[in-house]
Amino acid sequence: MPDIPNAGQLAVLLAAIAAFAIGGLISVARLGVDKERLRIAGKVCFYIGICASAGVLVWHSIDRHSWLPLGDNFDTLIWLALLLALFVAYTQRVHPLRGLDWFVMPIVILFLVFAAVFGRTERHEYVNASWWYVHNVTACCGAVAFAVAGAAGAMYLIANRQLRQKRMNPASRLGSLERLEHITRVAVTLGFAMLTVALVTGLVLALRGSTLGPGWYKQPKVLLAFVAWILYALVLHSPINPSFRGRKTAVLSVVGFVLMIGVLIAVQLMPR
Amino acid sequence: MDRLLLLGLSHTTAPLEVRERLAFNAAQREAALAQFKARFPQCELVLLSTCNRVEFYAARAVHGTPRNEELIEFVAGFHGLSAQQFTSHLYQKADREMVGHLFHVASSLDSMVLGETQILGQVREAYDSAAQAGTAGPLLNPLFQRAIAVAKQVMHETALSEGRLSVASVAVDYARGIFDHFNDKTVLTIGAGKMAKLVLKHFKALNPGKLLVCNRDPQKAASLAAEFGGEPAAFQRLGEHLVVADIVLSSTGAQQPIITRSQFDLLRRRRRYRRIFLIDIAVPRDIEPAVGQIENVFLYNLDDLQQVVSATQAQRKDVLDAARRIIGQHVETFVGWHRQRQLGPAIRQLYERYHAIAQEELARTLNKLPNLSDAERSHLEDLSRRIVNKLLHDPVHTLRESGADHVPAAQYLHALEKLFALTPEQPPDGSDEQ
Repeated sequence: MPDIPNAGQLAVLLAAIAAFAIGGLISVARLGVDKERLRIAGKVCFYIGICASAGVLVWHSIDRHSWLPLGDNFDTLIWLALLLALFVAYTQRVHPLRGLDWFVMPIVILFLVFAAVFGRTERHEYVNASWWYVHNVTACCGAVAFAVAGAAGAMYLIANRQLRQKRMNPASRLGSLERLEHITRVAVTLGFAMLTVALVTGLVLALRGSTLGPGWYKQPKVLLAFVAWILYALVLHSPINPSFRGRKTAVLSVVGFVLMIGVLIAVQLMPR
Repeated sequence: MDRLLLLGLSHTTAPLEVRERLAFNAAQREAALAQFKARFPQCELVLLSTCNRVEFYAARAVHGTPRNEELIEFVAGFHGLSAQQFTSHLYQKADREMVGHLFHVASSLDSMVLGETQILGQVREAYDSAAQAGTAGPLLNPLFQRAIAVAKQVMHETALSEGRLSVASVAVDYARGIFDHFNDKTVLTIGAGKMAKLVLKHFKALNPGKLLVCNRDPQKAASLAAEFGGEPAAFQRLGEHLVVADIVLSSTGAQQPIITRSQFDLLRRRRRYRRIFLIDIAVPRDIEPAVGQIENVFLYNLDDLQQVVSATQAQRKDVLDAARRIIGQHVETFVGWHRQRQLGPAIRQLYERYHAIAQEELARTLNKLPNLSDAERSHLEDLSRRIVNKLLHDPVHTLRESGADHVPAAQYLHALEKLFALTPEQPPDGSDEQ
């Protein structure tokens, strides 16, 4: 079956996971010993992970004779991981933010592990249906944005705690609160737009009775996505209600991301 | 015989809450010295009061006053406190230890910021103030002059002051942890003292969007604002300035907090809950600690900043060792000089007295022996002189070594004066101490 990843693809995927994990460990180790060699080794592992993930996508696309992304869950989850990793690479190159990888890379690894565990699914029938495709793409992009927001939110909470406890160690310094909040806001704004489109298209599809069937509104995936949407709406309303800025925004971003992970798991576990 | 005494507390023994209660500003110090002089005219005193320490350097006769308890009572009375509120934080040092401590303090080795030069100015100021008040005399004059000279030598001959981490640089570091960019931020400084200038210089380097200088004295505010390219701001409108400020630096000499929790709670809404970084480097503190509990308010006082600074001290062990060596040499020299100064007259008296007795007894004996030749008389005179010298050799040697053996020379000297009925000499004027 061309749509099911073969052992070779899984092996490359595991190599990507290992490379990201080793890179992450090296990055944490640099807290104690900040040597140039370690920095280079960490970067090499990181880029090996990116190349390996991209390699799996290419190999998988060749196998299934389709270059259209997000064709199945295996493909989708790797795309999520790859986009996140590319976001880290871009940020660290343009405007470095120390510690970003400590928070984002575990999410990347989580997506890849999901891909390895749940990824052997059949080709989605909806790939050629535009509504479904829009729904899937926006949901995925929203998930990536919320992952960034969740990571930045977690970083904000830790940085805020360090500053409040007045024992900030320069070696473990994360970005400034202002910047972390800015990243959270931008990510949530983008993610919210994506999630809104995903919810609307999902609603249209549900009303048309495409896949979810009757009682679709009671399904965990739908409920979790809706709660997440409300949470992010709260985050976004902070310019109107400024008492919501800062720590509250960060907490909501983290909670929202946890809900998104829940949605993701629900999607993988739901019978089709 | 005199004793050098120190009674004090510092950042190593007392928290800011205690230090700020015992702190003396310039006017208070002047008043305290005057009161002290009136009450203990025979005692010398230099009062060193900084953000980090309050120390009383005294010199008095061994059995003179004030005793430590009296000094504590004096301080408590001056500030209207109960002695129990601070005695557990006090340390006491005497003679060699006191000299060593002063040299360490003046050289910034006891400071939270290693290599900072501000303490030297403060030691000099404390000494000048005591000299003007007439409480620095023949003992403390040379001690403080030596301390200042030692501190200068330490600064010149070691790398102590190089690459130092100051409170100001730590404050800027924290600001970078809170804000990403500063070109849209407003820095407000309250107070126009030396410390404020120092910190402001660092913040100016961040190119803040706006710099407000607020002071009770509008002229001082205008002068500081002109120096740093800021705007003077009226102290009466402090609340309004706090609404627009993102970074507030406070270092006034106010005895009560000028920014309180209740006052700040009212401003939060007007500030639209924006983050604010409050740096309180005043002692006593200008900002109520409860203000720091408010969400998005980051309040740091002097101790908070200095704790970060002190973490760098351990990394500079080699420099510290070099500085300590210099100080150790000077402590020995000073203690030796002081001992000689104390013992010299007593030893001279002792020899003079017993040689006179020997001469007296010899003359009486010679009168009974009229047939002695000049050579025989000379032999007898030599004999009497040698006997006196040999008899006095051991006690005098022990006395001279007493300081080096860490046995209080004062005790021996006092015993010597009593046992041999010597009259203690009155200390000469300070003019002969140089």
